[in-house]
Amino acid sequence: MLIGPLFVLVVASFVVPLLITLYTAIGNPELRETLPRTTAAVRAWDGTGLPPEDAYAAIAAELAAAQENQTIGPLSRRLNFEQTGLRALLLKTARAKDTLASPYKDALVALDSRWEDPELWRLIRRNTASQTPLFLLRSLDFTLTPQGSIAHAAAEDTVFRALFYRTFEISFWVTVLCVVIGYPVTYTISTLSPRWANVAMGLVLVPFWTSILVRTTAWFILLQREGPVNALLQAMHIVDAPITMIFTRFAVYVAMVHVLLPFVIMPLYGVMKGIDPVYMRAAASMGAPGWKRFLRIYLPMTMPGVAAGALMVFMLSVGFYITPALVGGPNDQMVSYFIAFYTNSTINWGMSAALAGLLLVATAMLVVLARYLVPGFRAGSVKL
Amino acid sequence: MCKLQLKSFLLATLVGASLVGAGSAAARDLMVVGFGGGFQDNARKHLFQGYASATGQKVMDDVYNGEMAKLYSMVKAGDVTYDVIMVEAPELIRGCEDGIFEKMDWNVVKKNKFIKDGTSNCGAGAVLWGVTLFYDSTKIKDGPDTYAKLWDLKAYPGKRSFRSTPKTTLEIALLADGVAPADVYKALATPAGQQRAFAKLDQIKPQIVWWKSGTQPVQLVGSGEVAYAVGFTGRVVRANEGGAKYPLLWKTLLYSVDSWAVVKGSPNAKEGFKMIEWITDTKPLLALAEDWAVSPANTEAAANPRLREKNPGMLSSHVNEGLFINTEFWVANGDDLEQKFNAWLAK
Repeated sequence: MLIGPLFVLVVASFVVPLLITLYTAIGNPELRETLPRTTAAVRAWDGTGLPPEDAYAAIAAELAAAQENQTIGPLSRRLNFEQTGLRALLLKTARAKDTLASPYKDALVALDSRWEDPELWRLIRRNTASQTPLFLLRSLDFTLTPQGSIAHAAAEDTVFRALFYRTFEISFWVTVLCVVIGYPVTYTISTLSPRWANVAMGLVLVPFWTSILVRTTAWFILLQREGPVNALLQAMHIVDAPITMIFTRFAVYVAMVHVLLPFVIMPLYGVMKGIDPVYMRAAASMGAPGWKRFLRIYLPMTMPGVAAGALMVFMLSVGFYITPALVGGPNDQMVSYFIAFYTNSTINWGMSAALAGLLLVATAMLVVLARYLVPGFRAGSVKL
Repeated sequence: MCKLQLKSFLLATLVGASLVGAGSAAARDLMVVGFGGGFQDNARKHLFQGYASATGQKVMDDVYNGEMAKLYSMVKAGDVTYDVIMVEAPELIRGCEDGIFEKMDWNVVKKNKFIKDGTSNCGAGAVLWGVTLFYDSTKIKDGPDTYAKLWDLKAYPGKRSFRSTPKTTLEIALLADGVAPADVYKALATPAGQQRAFAKLDQIKPQIVWWKSGTQPVQLVGSGEVAYAVGFTGRVVRANEGGAKYPLLWKTLLYSVDSWAVVKGSPNAKEGFKMIEWITDTKPLLALAEDWAVSPANTEAAANPRLREKNPGMLSSHVNEGLFINTEFWVANGDDLEQKFNAWLAK
């Protein structure tokens, strides 16, 4: 009962906006809202041959009105997304309103022969439905044929499957690197005297409190062609000419691991500090050599910390945007880059929502899978 | 007594509330929004506050980064806090069709003072902007001065930097392949022309460094990260004022125009049109040009000898050498070409 207000807050500020956003991925309101009469007319039509005259009359009148009322934009963009070139056709038809007269069928066909194409009318009819699978299909490199069946996108249009694969690949390696680097670091910190441990944790936390943008920009300066790292390598005669480090996958890994390392160190530190040294001494007294004590006693006991840290790093990596955008090349961008692109640059919120929804589902599935496959996720202190 | 008190309290509250309500509607200053930077700092003095002192209308200004998502949310939610806004050409056309901008009141704003392509249904031209090829002439003696030569990796070795968008990059590829400027958009509208552009880019793909923000090309050339870059002329002029030696290669110019528009549903729409009329006039633009090199979209101001002398990067002097970026083409084909471009990048 006491969690009631919290529950309401979570539903109102998280669940509802999330669901509304996700619905945008399948919502298809443009044609119905902008062309209600045309919608009614093509719905009454059986979909064979060409629609009757009233559909032509309706679309001619409604397109002209939509342009006058400044509502033609979302519709023309939506249909152009379906088939490039339709925007121009709709605008041309809207602008020609004064030259069009009954019978509208002949007038529209005379204006542009595409109005005689039954495929175009079937496409319009298909989009009078209130939902569309197109955004989700496009996000997975599929498309809809004019007949409405699903097909593979043309080779020159395939982006997104590789993009999802790349996002998870980068996130996976960043997670592995963070754990491999973070584990010995944290172990060392946990064995320091309290005074030095505080200093060491301070060194971890101060960068952690610094903005991601600042840390990423710092890496940009360090790694550039005439930056300090190249200068050092040349001074030490390790390389003869400056090597390209910026705008590469290498730079993305370096910067992301640096940004995300504290997320492994902090939960791991708590777990390691909580392990009573008496267990290790007991194992030693029974004759277990060092590596065996580590593998059989210490590592399993720290697994909950590793799992918590790795999970946090993975989830944050999957949504990374600024770091790859600044230090990565075009082949190092992740899904968030395209979500931001569709949201801000082309105002194609259906695509943003579809990509975001797929990313959410894929990440959730991986986390559930990891829970069953990786030791330490179920046992111990990590509750998911 | 108690009743009376309650009544007068209610009355006072009502009067107070109505005053506050009336106050907020009338007293909101005119809000102008631009892309910031040096232009806006100088425009504030000469254009925005110039208008304020000429008319007594209080004017405030704010900065945005050109991304339209916030504006769309604002208009859809009916809570419009921006009045006059500077927008790029494709956003203007799209926003006009989407009902994000008011139709320009051409009875208030005089249409005939603008350059060709400087006006549209919702926008009045503000300034021209463009990109050209440039390089550091202290490091490279005779660099390429056309895009065709830029493709010659033997004669001109080193990395090249382009904007990581199909817009401008595909045009450049076709120009480099020998397509006449007048035919570029005709070619790009066909699958064959698109393939031709990508095939041309394939020839130098490993040598291309892609930039995203406008500060990058000057920085990349300055630091030696790349030998050649295609970047905003305004930034190149500024770098040259700071001592750099980057020749402006006008034959490689691609240009467009930024416009002023009034946000749909703005309570100050009428004031906004009046202000746009004032700030696009010759006199305030010439005053602005004394402090900041502008390329105004006003024919008379652009022809002014004093202004031309103040701005070595005056775009309107060079538009005949350059290619006008076709806004309508990019609004119609942008989504499709963005996807093809991204697919090509990933190959």
